[in-house]
Amino acid sequence: MSAVESRGAAAAGSDCVIVNDIEIMFGGQAGDGSLTTGDLIAGVFKRMGLEVYTYKDFPSRIRGGHTNYVIRAGEHANYGTADFVDGLIAFDVEAVETHVHELRPGGFVVFDSSSETLPDGVKRDDITWYLVPIGKIAKEEIGLELVRNTVSLGVLARLIGMDPAIVRADVAKVYGRKGERVVDLNLRAIEAGETYVDQHFAEWPSGYGLQGRPDVDRLIMMGNDAIGYGALAAGCRFMAGYPITPATDVLEFMAKFLPRYGGVAIQAEDELAAINMVIGAAFTGVRSMTATSGPGQALMTEAIGLAGVLEIPIVVVECARTGPSTGMPTKTEQSNLNHLIFGGHGEIPKIVLAPGTVEDSFYLSAAAFDLAERYQCPVFVLTEQALCQSKATLPRLDLGRVSVDRGKLVTEPVVFGEYKRFAFTDDGVSPRVTPGLEGGMHLAAGSEHGEAGVITENPKNRARMMEKRMRKLESALAHVPPPLVHGDAKADVAIFGYGANRGPIVEAQRRLAAEGVPTRFLELRTLWPFPEEEVRAFVAGTRAVFVVENNYTGQLDRLVRYVVGPLERMHRVLKYDGRPFRPIEIVEPIRRAAPARGLAEV
Amino acid sequence: MTTTMTPKDFATATPSWWCPGCGDYGVLSALKAALAELGKQPKDVAFVSGIGCSGKISGYLHSYAFHGVHGRALPVATAVKLANRDLTVIAAGGDGDGYAIGAGHFLHAVRRNPKMAYVVMDNQTYGLTKGQSSPTSQTGYITGTSPQGNPDAPINGLAVALAAGGTFLARGFSANPKHLVGLMKEAVEHDGFAIVEVMSPCVTYNKINTYAWFKQNVYYLDDGYDATDRVRAFEALTAEGKIPLGVIYREQRPTLETLTHLGATPIVDLRLDPQLRELVAIQDAYA
Repeated sequence: MSAVESRGAAAAGSDCVIVNDIEIMFGGQAGDGSLTTGDLIAGVFKRMGLEVYTYKDFPSRIRGGHTNYVIRAGEHANYGTADFVDGLIAFDVEAVETHVHELRPGGFVVFDSSSETLPDGVKRDDITWYLVPIGKIAKEEIGLELVRNTVSLGVLARLIGMDPAIVRADVAKVYGRKGERVVDLNLRAIEAGETYVDQHFAEWPSGYGLQGRPDVDRLIMMGNDAIGYGALAAGCRFMAGYPITPATDVLEFMAKFLPRYGGVAIQAEDELAAINMVIGAAFTGVRSMTATSGPGQALMTEAIGLAGVLEIPIVVVECARTGPSTGMPTKTEQSNLNHLIFGGHGEIPKIVLAPGTVEDSFYLSAAAFDLAERYQCPVFVLTEQALCQSKATLPRLDLGRVSVDRGKLVTEPVVFGEYKRFAFTDDGVSPRVTPGLEGGMHLAAGSEHGEAGVITENPKNRARMMEKRMRKLESALAHVPPPLVHGDAKADVAIFGYGANRGPIVEAQRRLAAEGVPTRFLELRTLWPFPEEEVRAFVAGTRAVFVVENNYTGQLDRLVRYVVGPLERMHRVLKYDGRPFRPIEIVEPIRRAAPARGLAEV
Repeated sequence: MTTTMTPKDFATATPSWWCPGCGDYGVLSALKAALAELGKQPKDVAFVSGIGCSGKISGYLHSYAFHGVHGRALPVATAVKLANRDLTVIAAGGDGDGYAIGAGHFLHAVRRNPKMAYVVMDNQTYGLTKGQSSPTSQTGYITGTSPQGNPDAPINGLAVALAAGGTFLARGFSANPKHLVGLMKEAVEHDGFAIVEVMSPCVTYNKINTYAWFKQNVYYLDDGYDATDRVRAFEALTAEGKIPLGVIYREQRPTLETLTHLGATPIVDLRLDPQLRELVAIQDAYA
């Protein structure tokens, strides 16, 4: 780590405020390759032994339009962005204008001065400016303007003290499949960036330090890949989907891997086809899934009711984005919770799971298939753009924790006339046969039916059949993934939240605790059936309760209130601008409404 | 087959909800006879239907029957075939189910060419909602929703399917069950997506396209007709005047099962083991 130690303020020196917590933003036009470079930076931080989280904020277009990629690295696994950006790599004036106010005082900007000049108005004087003709260096020294991202990586690496050996090894690895020439060009680009810094700048970014730690065997994975991987591990062998941001990655993952395990992934003509295909494959006995986002979820809603009444196990991944209608397709939101829980005509049992980390995305995705088969109902895995398209470091995934429990699946011949597909049972779950099994022939009808499947409008049967189906939710309640308590379990300030907000909430908790406001946070991993008892117990004995979520109407808050009743000490912490919470946006409202005990009396 | 199957082996005990004289009875008996003659077993037949009078047919055929939502029989049936290629898969629905609400899926099922039969029971009206115009109703057809006469031109489903790459197109008449049985058998045996459109009169609401009307307005393709000639097929399907009955077009092209590289073992029979070594190794690429 000599490069680090020799770099004055960039190392953990005496003027360091924060050691090993840095957030870098790459800003420019979409399609200019900044995503690849962003991934490269994330990889280098990981290999330096740090915990990494990335967040993509890109426009809903392929070329052009402002895009940025945030890479956060630190000692803690922070599943979210920080209050401030430490360093901005800006490829155009727009990137500076859009983000300069997000920089930490003392932070820095690397600006590509090849073709644009910074207007005076944007130049904050509490940050350091590094004007580097990045594009020009790429074009004139390397002979290829395309490598300007890599030049910028060289500049950044030098400025903040990234391990040069790791930088080179990762560049060689990432570009390796494109051949030796490309690797060589990019290595030269790194060198050129470093050299420029050495020759032109004497001052280094200040206020934090970067220290490598021993790297352990870990992964860096995107939420959507973890969901696909979990499904594959749990025996999902059929997927149908329709491309939609931010869910398409799941279909791409499955399209790549399913054929290797004998399965198939189909790109359907629309979401109506996709969900009906999933139901068809599941009817046949194959573990099946789809993945979609709000607009597609809306189209699938009718057929999900069908799966409910036919008692067919399906898994539906919802990668939520900003709605309504097209909304902001590449931005995050938690406004689909009501839709998943209450959407649809008629009433069916369903289960809604919500992972809070990439790691949990894997385990809950896998668990969804067992739950679907045990309770023969649709199971949703609800995630959001800020988690499902983000990458994070995580321990290796333990496939030994993945089970394949097929519930009441009948594999031995049954006697026709005796067997009843929709038999009334105590737990509401009926033995399930699949086509090809001797004796199990029946009609699976979306119309109300009797135990044997024959369509009937008999009122007594209708009531009993409703009760049988809905009873499955009660049976499932004790077996769904439990909520997690973070922070001080005895604290008198309670927080509710789920999904991508786990990261910023936990970080806010650490800071609040340091300020004398200990908190407890109930991270809900199953949102339906709603964990009423845990929620009720969690509110007891508190002086203030906060529900943190990314929507306007407080959808989770309403669920909590439904259980605990109206409470004056309940507060909503809402954000609906399409961007995830930064921790300060949670710290401040809690600090305001529930100040530290001593302070409240002043 | 060691056992001889009869149409009765495919009957259910469920009484029919169809009106007396409905054309759909002819479709049902032809289907039962075709399956029996082909020696199929009810346990190996997956029968998927849509919504409408025609969609009720799945309740009357002893099999693994599926009665889903309106217009979506084809995506369900396609996936059933992919998931268990050993099954005999048949989808059935009406002109509204297939050519209106499900028209998108119709085109894409044709393109995909899974090995299955699709029976379109065409009565040129919406029966179950009490007689509105359908996508195959004649222009000017007067109904409760088209009191001034249906303004739309009727859709020519088989011609559309031909243009979309259909590999087996046939048309029958429910009043000629013997002929229909032959078509159904060929459709079930066809190695690809086989459409049998059946003129199936609605005796309650459609007072124009009646049995008598059909008898005067259909003709049977004769032995001289070459069903492998695509241009000739398009002429037969689009010519003014009488409606052709028989196998109108057939060709062989790779099925969806082939093009998705399905193995010989049906997906449903694959052993699931989370600890497969290769499965664990996937994460090495993320290390």
